[in-house]
Amino acid sequence: MIRIDKKPLETDVLIVGGGIAGLMAAINAADQGVHVTVAEKANTKRSGSGATGNDHFLCYVPELHGDDIEPIHTEVKNSLIGGYLDSTHTLKFLEQSFDRVRDWESWGISMKPTGKWQCMGHAFPGRPRVWLKYDGHNQKPVLTREAKKRGVKIINHTPIVDVITDNGKVIGAIGLDINKDEPTLKIFRAKSVILATGSASRLYPSAPSPGCLSNTAFNPSCTGAAQATAYRAGAKLVNMEFPNRHAGPKFMARCGKSSWIGIYKDPKGKTIGPFVKKPTRELGDITADVWNSVFTDMLESGRGPAYIDCSETSPEDVEYMLKAMVGEGLTSMLKYMDEEGIDVRKHMVEFMQYEPHLIGRGIEIDLNGESNIEGLYAAGDPVGNFRADIAGAATFGWIAGKSAAERAKGIEGFEKAEETPLVEERSKLYSSFMERDTGPDWREANFALQQIMKDYAGIKVRSETLLTAGLKYFNDLKAKVLDTLTAENSHTLMRCMEVLDLMECGETIFLTARERKETRGLHIRPDYPFTNPLLAEKWITIKKENGLPRMEWRNKM
Amino acid sequence: MPPIIDKEKCNACGVCADICCMDVFKVVDKKKSPIIRYPEECWHCNACVLDCKHEALSLRIPLPSMMLHVDANVATD
Repeated sequence: MIRIDKKPLETDVLIVGGGIAGLMAAINAADQGVHVTVAEKANTKRSGSGATGNDHFLCYVPELHGDDIEPIHTEVKNSLIGGYLDSTHTLKFLEQSFDRVRDWESWGISMKPTGKWQCMGHAFPGRPRVWLKYDGHNQKPVLTREAKKRGVKIINHTPIVDVITDNGKVIGAIGLDINKDEPTLKIFRAKSVILATGSASRLYPSAPSPGCLSNTAFNPSCTGAAQATAYRAGAKLVNMEFPNRHAGPKFMARCGKSSWIGIYKDPKGKTIGPFVKKPTRELGDITADVWNSVFTDMLESGRGPAYIDCSETSPEDVEYMLKAMVGEGLTSMLKYMDEEGIDVRKHMVEFMQYEPHLIGRGIEIDLNGESNIEGLYAAGDPVGNFRADIAGAATFGWIAGKSAAERAKGIEGFEKAEETPLVEERSKLYSSFMERDTGPDWREANFALQQIMKDYAGIKVRSETLLTAGLKYFNDLKAKVLDTLTAENSHTLMRCMEVLDLMECGETIFLTARERKETRGLHIRPDYPFTNPLLAEKWITIKKENGLPRMEWRNKM
Repeated sequence: MPPIIDKEKCNACGVCADICCMDVFKVVDKKKSPIIRYPEECWHCNACVLDCKHEALSLRIPLPSMMLHVDANVATD
């Protein structure tokens, strides 16, 4: 049997994942005077999709935007991330977003690298600009330092694989210590748990490199653990049926298309979109923000490929752009370009749409960041009814941290989380993976999942018959995986857990995609080819009840 | 395969292995350079290169991640 650390770790607030949301939650929870622990899969100094930097922080800056928040609220709703937001949450976020900017600036993350507050990128001509341009190259080490300064206990190399509940309330979690080759399960007793494990990559085949599991725009270590553990614990997920795709350089999957100050062009040098003729740092080409599928459409029409051309950008703006890419954490790409002689002043770089991944699809939270399970909170990319990327993670992480701490303060003592049947059940499953001599490894399982997701719950076509058949195949695969998967050490066992989490997310995608009988965005249903105005403001939630999935429709707030 | 450790420069401090978001490295012997145990899992985030105080780390970007580019000096509209 897998080793279980007999001594449970007690903490008032347990934070699952030490990314932007997790560390901001930790800092604010610790400021409330409670004991806080962050359990992190890698090392909080460099983990998650913000590992080496980011550059855009969505926010309402009163001194730039004026006293009226409403035009900014409207702008966010109309922006590239705007479709799946509860207004109530967006407003609360906007009201507090600039306070978090000031925090970061005071801690040493450069929120005004040019010396003044400047919003640039993803900007529409004649409309308010809402993305504060910052230099996040040191954001993770700084937030780690601030958390430690406040006494937060950070346990690295220990992903949380399940939360433990009792009578609908959170009482702890199961962690997998991967510091040594032999895995050890660590049981946490906690009064509040905050899930903040980032996005979910690796659910669909990598669009640039279907044979590579790690060529993904967002961190491939983020695999929907928050959504999966929440779902297993009975929490509601929302908006899972809507695919989301990012775009960027081909074939090197990397976020940050908005950092490129250039014009999208066809191979003959003809401008593709109508928005900008001369790109500047203030107004780059927003064609891809408006026309999400432009790169795919150009390719499939035979008129492609589509490129970004920075050769007509002013030398000052090119310098600015290259510097900003360092702040965004794109240093390996810049080094590679340098070594390969790729010069944005002389070359056009092809862009593409990447595979769907989960960001802003997942756990439904209230205005305190809490799910429908008492004591279970979520923040950042795995939240399904609110999204604002880095800024959303920072601000709602902060909010969840405070709420979780306040809840913990009202609870006397700890429940014996280690005695719940879940611990034995999960340890048996993990042990079975470790004890088998032969069988598929996590890679095989991951690829097998990806091909089912692509063909039966993909972005080209979904229908009642395809989704029903796909769900059958998915269940066949899941059963086989549970019966035959093998792991040889703590690292590969962790990867096995990731694939199981991705499968949990996949199941909810199949079910909700079948439930939404219309075509909307990238949810394309040829059997319901219309976009139904009656469903425009309606969301599907899914949760497990007595072991079975249960879906409900609710109005967007 | 990425990443690559220059053993002449490496002092076996283990920072790369500790901060790698993909757990690509493995410290087998604390007195020696870590081994690159799972190279194909590297995300090329560059954290190991940035955080190595001895400049012992470099990344080799694999062929499937090649960046596609053409000359920009074509006729423009």
